[in-house]
Amino acid sequence: MKKQQNKPFAFRGKYFFLSVCILYGVLFLFNRESAQPALLKSVHVLVRILPIFVVVILFTALLNYFLQPRQIAGYLGRDSSYMGWLWALAGGVISHGPMYAWYPLLEDLRSNGMRDELIVVFFASRTIKIPLLPIMIDHFGLKFTVVLSFYILIGALLQGYFYGLLKRSKVS
Amino acid sequence: MNEPDSCSIFTHRRQGKIKKSAGEKNQRKQSGQRPAFRKVLQKSALAFLAMAPLLLGVIGLVGLFQVIVTPKMLASLFRGNSLFVDTLLGTLTGSIAAGNPIVSYLVGGELLDNGVSLYAVTAFILSWVTLGFVQLPAEVEVFGGEFTLYRNILSFIFTMFIAVLTTLTLQVLS
Repeated sequence: MKKQQNKPFAFRGKYFFLSVCILYGVLFLFNRESAQPALLKSVHVLVRILPIFVVVILFTALLNYFLQPRQIAGYLGRDSSYMGWLWALAGGVISHGPMYAWYPLLEDLRSNGMRDELIVVFFASRTIKIPLLPIMIDHFGLKFTVVLSFYILIGALLQGYFYGLLKRSKVS
Repeated sequence: MNEPDSCSIFTHRRQGKIKKSAGEKNQRKQSGQRPAFRKVLQKSALAFLAMAPLLLGVIGLVGLFQVIVTPKMLASLFRGNSLFVDTLLGTLTGSIAAGNPIVSYLVGGELLDNGVSLYAVTAFILSWVTLGFVQLPAEVEVFGGEFTLYRNILSFIFTMFIAVLTTLTLQVLS
């Protein structure tokens, strides 16, 4: 388990960001018609998910303020019971916005002892989007939405379980 | 050799116990002291700021993919394939495409209207959210290569399974 605490401040993914900037630069030189709307769409995405970033920062701070690392490990760590799985499942379902917006919070929880299996469950259950359920029902019907949501939840738990098996088989 | 008498051992043990419990109390006292919320918030904001280039890179790629991979292009891929190939294509195209899940519902609805199987459309909707080529570099950086590889393989397999199971269940129910 990686410990992120007390690490000196350093930007992460600098080279990745630089590569994307170079990609845009090349695109602006050779295909301005695609580059301009792509940049506009990126800005639009950024503006749309900025409130989610704020929520994630606040949520991380609140968790760190009210819960000690060993408490987090108790809820979501190796010794957590079935409740840990349910917390991860519920967290995934209610979390809003794109998956990458939740990376900082999950990384923080992981450094405090959250099991990888539960992170897998969190990501897998994110396919159920509560605010978008009415739109899904409108497009595909109620029966489809209920059946799909049921399988997503079961599948999320199974993915976490199989991830644990894979990890353990690699260790042993 | 001078052996300590039972009484001195007892006293020593008791002293040890007292010292230990005092230490535990001190530790508990220390851990019970919460840092100021402003400091915790500052730490969280800094951790987030450190990840900013990574997240901005992903957002940049999302914009690029939204322009390059159009819904029309995706729909053109599903023509006259077997159910398995369609489901596989649904999973792959969903993981390449990027953007709001509402778009996946709209494109999925269009695909259904154009005669694409429900297997493929379900796989497409699922992989749109859980799989993503654009966020792979960030996922590797944050969670490590092994975690990313295992999670995405599992997600890919389960997307196909869930798509098939959902469609079969609906067929049985109707």
